[in-house]
Amino acid sequence: MKILAVIPAYNEQECIVDTVDWLRRECPDIDYLVVNDGSKDATADLCRAHGFSYVSLPINTRLTSAFRCGMKYAYRNGYDAVVQFDADGQHLPSYIPKLAAAMQEHDADIVIASRFLDGTKPTGARGVGQRLITALIKLTTGTTITDPTSGMRLFNRNMIEHFTKDFDIAPEPDTVALMARKHKTIVEIPAKMQERQGGTSYLDLPHIVSYMGRTCLSILLFQWLR
Amino acid sequence: MSIALRILLVAGAVLAFAFVAQRIRKSTVLMGDAIFWVALSGLLIVLAVFPEITFFFSDLFGFVSPSNFIFLFIIVLLMAKMFANSSEISLLKHRVNELAQENALLERSLRDRMGELEQKK
Repeated sequence: MKILAVIPAYNEQECIVDTVDWLRRECPDIDYLVVNDGSKDATADLCRAHGFSYVSLPINTRLTSAFRCGMKYAYRNGYDAVVQFDADGQHLPSYIPKLAAAMQEHDADIVIASRFLDGTKPTGARGVGQRLITALIKLTTGTTITDPTSGMRLFNRNMIEHFTKDFDIAPEPDTVALMARKHKTIVEIPAKMQERQGGTSYLDLPHIVSYMGRTCLSILLFQWLR
Repeated sequence: MSIALRILLVAGAVLAFAFVAQRIRKSTVLMGDAIFWVALSGLLIVLAVFPEITFFFSDLFGFVSPSNFIFLFIIVLLMAKMFANSSEISLLKHRVNELAQENALLERSLRDRMGELEQKK
């Protein structure tokens, strides 16, 4: 299976080099693509200087579009699967082969690396939102997804095509819910993640609340309207 | 309705129409998008010159006052226009993103080709 790791990066100069080096060391036979999303810092320069495989968007188009760019690259270059991989070092490369194995075993469309499949309970404000989204997906699609907001997901060729061609599809929980309702096979495997290794996250309380609100509404609207 | 009020309304409507017309002449708005505003300002002139139209519809639907009818009518019209704008902006965002993506992928394939050529030398 020809796998591409798509690494969207916006102003990630502090961790992009470590992340890519780590990925290459752990998974030398997996291709990767850094998608520099119009960063204002040295992200693109670092990629060039280190000879990384990258594409560079001329403007900041946000995560969804950056990821779609990676999906188009995968689609046009004949990849069988794409793994969504964070630039900030949260995701452990060693799980990529496990995701791939699960995809082949279950003939899955999406495989999610779940932090909560082993019984760990999500905590804090994010935990509450987390559980709400899980409940909502269960309610609307009948599928249980323990970690819908996990940013580490493996998509098969069919999903790559969706990402390349559809108008409104994002590497977000609402798309996972939509695909669950369309009877795509979604599988989770237990996984660990670590704290981001540098740079700043936008996930303070107001952002969490607005993110969760938008995601929940979006899941419901997708359910009713599409 | 007092004469002063009627003059004010007509003058305002004519001014609005003149403003739109001038913008079209200076080519700061596409004709296709301007048609809505030409029609709207034309409608304002008609309603200012013939307030009886407003009175008629206001009575017909049982509005307490004609101005309520006008407010509701204009608000609905503007909301529809705003939604049309929203959906057009969505489409534009999508297209700008698509272009940026294609640009990035094109630059990458160019770089790959250059690399291949370098190696052949």
